[in-house]
Amino acid sequence: MAETKVKKAKELKDEEPKNLKKVAKSGLKTMRKTRKHHPLREEGRIIKYGASGFTRNFWLSSAATAVMSITLIILFATVVASVILTNTAEMMRDKIDITIYFKPVTSRETLDELTEIISSDSNTKSVVTSDSKEEYEKFLAENAGSDEIINVLDDEMKELMISKMQATMRIKVYNVDNLDSIKDLVETNEVFQKYLDDEKQPTYDVNQAEIATITSWARIARTGGIILAVVFLVISILIIFSTIRMAIFSRREEIYMMKLVGADRRFIRGPFLVEAELCGVLAGLIAATTSYFGFMWLAPRLSNYGINVDEIVGILQSNKLIIMFLIFIGIGIIIGRVSSRLAVSKYLHKA
Amino acid sequence: MILLDSVTKIYPGDHKPALDSVSLHIEPNEFVFLVGKSGAGKSTLMKMITKEEIPDSGKIIIGGIDLDYVKKRHIPGYRRRLGVVFQDFKLLPRRTVYENVAFALEIAGMSGKEIRKTVPKVLELVDLSDQAKKFPRQLSGGQQQRVSIARSVARQPKILIADEPTANLDKLTTEEIIQLLKKINDFGTTILVTTHNEGIVNTLQKRVVTMKDGKIVADQKNGGIYKLDETPQPKLPKHLIQTPGHALKNKPKRIIQ
Repeated sequence: MAETKVKKAKELKDEEPKNLKKVAKSGLKTMRKTRKHHPLREEGRIIKYGASGFTRNFWLSSAATAVMSITLIILFATVVASVILTNTAEMMRDKIDITIYFKPVTSRETLDELTEIISSDSNTKSVVTSDSKEEYEKFLAENAGSDEIINVLDDEMKELMISKMQATMRIKVYNVDNLDSIKDLVETNEVFQKYLDDEKQPTYDVNQAEIATITSWARIARTGGIILAVVFLVISILIIFSTIRMAIFSRREEIYMMKLVGADRRFIRGPFLVEAELCGVLAGLIAATTSYFGFMWLAPRLSNYGINVDEIVGILQSNKLIIMFLIFIGIGIIIGRVSSRLAVSKYLHKA
Repeated sequence: MILLDSVTKIYPGDHKPALDSVSLHIEPNEFVFLVGKSGAGKSTLMKMITKEEIPDSGKIIIGGIDLDYVKKRHIPGYRRRLGVVFQDFKLLPRRTVYENVAFALEIAGMSGKEIRKTVPKVLELVDLSDQAKKFPRQLSGGQQQRVSIARSVARQPKILIADEPTANLDKLTTEEIIQLLKKINDFGTTILVTTHNEGIVNTLQKRVVTMKDGKIVADQKNGGIYKLDETPQPKLPKHLIQTPGHALKNKPKRIIQ
């Protein structure tokens, strides 16, 4: 009797691995067969549950949407500030020119010759010259409304003024930081030396400090804008991540239950992603609308302070406005998706 | 239908095993009570069956599936084949009674038409047809447990396991829940219920498996609870190992026609 039991136990031990593999294979096959896979149907259900979650968790959805909207507005403000500061700096740089004064006797032909010489420098963007007569005409035009001045300008006076007024050359450059080559040219060229006015010195030395200041402001605006945008983006993502994480933390039990009744990862994660994406779409719309009306209200006020807002106003008044809305919505969706995916994954690994 | 062979589990940091070489065989269509005090190892055994926990050694075969071969990606599919009822109901709080039951069918990929046909029938079975639109918080404990049962049987599983399903309920509701489980068992579903309520065990006169300190100390076919030294460890029947598919062949009747 005991021998038979031992024999049976041995048989059982020998047969076990082989038969159990069979069990496993047949069982798993049946298990897989029972699964009906309809991607479209699943996708529809995920969207449906995401949308219902969005409305049923109204307060949390609102909080996440609000934080996202603020993030997007900050991003817009940072980008706009960077663009308008750069544009303003460019505009101011464009106004800067070097003025060189020549003796009143300098003729138009000489001025043309001098223009040719200065244009040979690669930093020269444009050159405008005027001889003594033209300077006088300019003076007349500038004082056209002043009868007191016009009335005293008889022929004798006119001749006297023309004989005293210096001819001028105004040079605009590509790079205001490097004026040495032009300076050298003016100081060493024989023709320039011959006609340069003895009383009035060229103005590039006087403007150098202003040029440097504006240049450094433009640089600060560009670099600062980029740094600010990155810092705000990181802070905002962290805030949104925490908000969504809190929302999901309050529903961790739900995730656990879903797993226990056999929901797969996609089905559990999907509705949370859809919910966060809906927050992103809504936040994108709110932020784009607020930014649009906010900037359009602010633009004329900024313009009064000499800030160049033309480029941004141009974009907002063109067809590009739709693209701006789409970018806002797109960023909202990306922020929502990334944050919720990170937040859900923590609870998906449990159970 | 449920087969555990020398299953041992020691939780990290514990010296005593939560399950100590446990062997158990439950035939198709059986109704089994798993009884024992808190800490006896009942819940760990249930977690082994749902693959929430993995044994340190031993073999577990459920409905013809060897759990060693059920990889992480297969777990949702495996769990969909089981009906599971929990002590704390584990209903989705933001979904209605109807949606909670429908959820179990949706994750199985059932069509909307089939779901709309099945859910009312299941709710009728648990006598909750008039509560379909309510949320779990609006229901009593007994009603919530009936929703949990409805969700677990909606997919018509061959095996239903219930972990302390009556622990949070009063005496009358407990009786109702047990009768409902018996009704489901009458349709051919194998049922394993853990409890420490001796009263319901003895009145139903079904098979009772008693656990103590991570071991099975008694196994009686017709109710009642054995004492530790009177009961030998159950042996693993050889015929089950040799004909592994038989559990699948013995199909139970459909709960919902």
